[in-house]
Amino acid sequence: MSRAPSLSGPLPGPFHPRLEAASTAKDWADWAGVLSPRKLDATGREYFAIRNQAALIDISPMRKYRIEGPEAERVLNRVVTRDVAKIAPGRVGYALWCDEDGMAIDDGTIFRLGPERFRLCCQERMLTWLIDAAEGLDAAVSDETEALAALALQGPTSFSVLEAAGLQVSSLRPFDLAEPEPGLLVSRTGFTGDLGYELWIATEHALALWDRLIEAGRVFGILPAGMEALDMARIEAGFPMTGFDFQSIHAAERPSRGRTPFELGLGRHVDFAKGHFNGRRALLALKEEPPKRRLVTLDIDGSRAASGALLYRRGMFGRWREVGHVTSALWSPTAKRNVAFAEIEGEAEGADLFAEIYLFKEGKWERRMARARPGPRAAFRPDRARATPPARR
Amino acid sequence: MAERLKAAVIGAGVNGLVAAAALARGGCEVTVIERGAAPGGMMALGLFARGPHPAALEALGLKPGALGPAIPTVALCPSGRHVLVEGAEARFADGSAHPGAERWRVLSRRLDRFAAALAPLLTGAPPPMRLRAEGLPGLLRFALRLRLLGARDMRELLRIGLSNAADLAADALPEGPLAGLLAFDSVLGSRAGPMAPGTVVPLLLRRAPLRRMEGLAARLAAASEGKGARLRLGAGAARILFEDDRAHGVLLDDGERVEADLVLSSLGAAQTLALAGPALFDIEAQRRIGAIRAQGAAARVDLDFAAPPRLPGLDPAHHGARLVLAPSVQAVEPAYDPVKYGRLPALPVMEGRIDGARLSLTVQCVPHDAPRDRIVAATLAALETVAPGLGGEVRHAGALSPADIEAMTGAPGGHWHHGEIALDQFLTLRPANGMARHAMGPPGLFLCGAGAHPGGDVTGLPGLNGARAALEAMR
Ligand SMILES: Cc1cc2nc3c(=O)[nH]c(=O)nc-3n(C[C@H](O)[C@H](O)[C@H](O)COP(=O)(O)OP(=O)(O)OC[C@H]3O[C@@H](n4cnc5c(N)ncnc54)[C@H](O)[C@@H]3O)c2cc1C
Repeated sequence: MSRAPSLSGPLPGPFHPRLEAASTAKDWADWAGVLSPRKLDATGREYFAIRNQAALIDISPMRKYRIEGPEAERVLNRVVTRDVAKIAPGRVGYALWCDEDGMAIDDGTIFRLGPERFRLCCQERMLTWLIDAAEGLDAAVSDETEALAALALQGPTSFSVLEAAGLQVSSLRPFDLAEPEPGLLVSRTGFTGDLGYELWIATEHALALWDRLIEAGRVFGILPAGMEALDMARIEAGFPMTGFDFQSIHAAERPSRGRTPFELGLGRHVDFAKGHFNGRRALLALKEEPPKRRLVTLDIDGSRAASGALLYRRGMFGRWREVGHVTSALWSPTAKRNVAFAEIEGEAEGADLFAEIYLFKEGKWERRMARARPGPRAAFRPDRARATPPARR
Repeated sequence: MAERLKAAVIGAGVNGLVAAAALARGGCEVTVIERGAAPGGMMALGLFARGPHPAALEALGLKPGALGPAIPTVALCPSGRHVLVEGAEARFADGSAHPGAERWRVLSRRLDRFAAALAPLLTGAPPPMRLRAEGLPGLLRFALRLRLLGARDMRELLRIGLSNAADLAADALPEGPLAGLLAFDSVLGSRAGPMAPGTVVPLLLRRAPLRRMEGLAARLAAASEGKGARLRLGAGAARILFEDDRAHGVLLDDGERVEADLVLSSLGAAQTLALAGPALFDIEAQRRIGAIRAQGAAARVDLDFAAPPRLPGLDPAHHGARLVLAPSVQAVEPAYDPVKYGRLPALPVMEGRIDGARLSLTVQCVPHDAPRDRIVAATLAALETVAPGLGGEVRHAGALSPADIEAMTGAPGGHWHHGEIALDQFLTLRPANGMARHAMGPPGLFLCGAGAHPGGDVTGLPGLNGARAALEAMR
């Protein structure tokens, strides 16, 4: 069974029978060729499960690549901008990678399963890229996307759910990984900024794992959740998303859509000292120039999410001058703030900005220019996300 | 410059030698690292040279007149009515007038004018895709020359530049040995037939008179040494060394390190990448280099006879001439076709020369790994069309397939140009997109061999252009 987008539409993933059974909304989307729920029931409920209980989210459509061999670290170091040597075995690290012009291709997480064994998880298809990166190096690259099912268990009770399921993960610090049972990998990672775990297992054991977690989580309020709730949580957590907050240069038709790590506010993940990596020479030159644009987080007046809004500042004679646009937006129910990712011209950073928000009021559109101020990268960053061992709830 | 810059040049073929001389003239302390026992590289396989180009000669401190006399071409015809060609002049080998002589002259002059217009593109890096200041002077000179051609010629150049040699020949010449010669020169060394688009380009690069290749390598080497380059023969480059993402020298096979601020490689881009290690290159660059088409289709054949071989209709006075066996366009295109499928043609096309009792040939349209005995047999079959019975007189025959040439010289695919000359591998796209300005990968590393702009033949231009780019980068 192939997951490449096909004429027949997205195909069911490894958890589909359970998702199908749990779905009252029947609201399906195509996530990388896999039939995935936007929501199973109501997005709001699923979002609050992430923040107040535990949510179970199928993240199997993420691309998963195995890089193995004596020079596996060199292969990854050739691709990503950070130094992979600094990810110890048993740890997970964030990384992004660029094309030869220093434009971001995608970001993701690198799991160091052992000194010579890695897994890369990301959104974009990177198989041929990784195979070419391994040319001349002693390492094998394979695509594990189909073979490996993945679940995100996120929320304040997620630790208790795992414990109730008989999985010993109390010593896992954020970005640690462990194999509490043969064949089941658990990492303390996630896309919600909250306490949470991701579980990785061979596809044939996917449904049994799901049932076990749902059963154990019943008293902890576990709820299956869809992509919309996850999207809300990641905006609150301040995680930009490929395809939304920036375009992968490999997917963009227009070269001008390419963005550098500096423009994305991810410059700290670029390590010029580690030796050559893809796009290094271009980035070295770009580092000297002030970024043309910036991906920033904004705090916007009012409670109406500024999705898709154009951003302005006041120019001469009080005229509005367009200086950017919102890439993701959310009224954050937890932070009680109207937050957004936005791309703005470099020189507009720090200036007074206004988001042009359209409101549909009983058959009539109204325009509102809402103040937009620089916001913290993460609108919601609870301490429980970092406590080890995590609190039981 | 407090200290003299050190430069290492890998390969002592024509381009390594010219690059070394140009670098020495530019103030560098130059070491040429050559694996072979003698300088010259693939020149040892060649029979006739049109170069080096005057600009390369100047870098070497040589005068064009010093290269010896130009030699004529005899286009062989199975009828025995061979055609003697000296530049724009053509007549039958017996001295009588050739009916196509006037058309040959007109075409030759036209091609000469086009070549002159293109000249500024050859002696510098090609104009960049994205226009930057450094590309402007060359581009302006080119634009000016194009304007000077006049509207009609300019339109004609643009038309034929993208078209093919077979069409050009069909338009301009009667079918026969003259048209065959044009078609042959358009594909000599390439893995292409004269109907392939872009085959007019090599014709424009091949306007200079021919001279014998013998002795030229030694003279170029001496001239390069005279300019201050140090030749290290019998020294293979094992690795190109880098420090802080800059070229830093060359590690030799025997473990010795040659320190250098600049490393120029006259090897193919893929071979250079292998010496440097792919991890220093962006994946895109590595992919483009991996996609370069470089499969040779020219073989060297030597036939020894008991006495100087006799070709009916060929005056022994013309034995030293360049003999071309490509009797018509209609003979050249079918000779190419089977190569696409890895087969030898029944009647390959070729050029050669008689030296005493030896007939030396460059045989065109030979698949990369064709067996030597089959190459000889096909060569003899073609020769029998102009000299029946010649095969029976052969005492000894030797052949080198493109695969043999690759093993001997390290040239990519044993290819004459280190990489096909075609529209997708020319000018800004030679050897590959992003490398046309000779710089490749880490700073301080440059390409200066036939695979670089503007391509092979004994011109020295890639060497000269590579050295200029390297010197410019250090400024
Ligand atoms: C059969 C044949 C016949 C030809 N006939 C003609 C002709 O008649 N007229 C003409 O103009 N052109 C001819 N050519 C083409 C011409 O010879 C080449 O285009 C030209 O010589 C290329 O010069 P170069 O310096 O770029 O490369 P090369 O001549 O290939 O030089 C590269 C040098 O690098 C050396 N080298 C390789 N690897 C290493 C290493 N690791 N370390 C150190 N040194 C290394 C090689 O030994 C070689 O000396 C012919 C080609 C072929 C194949």
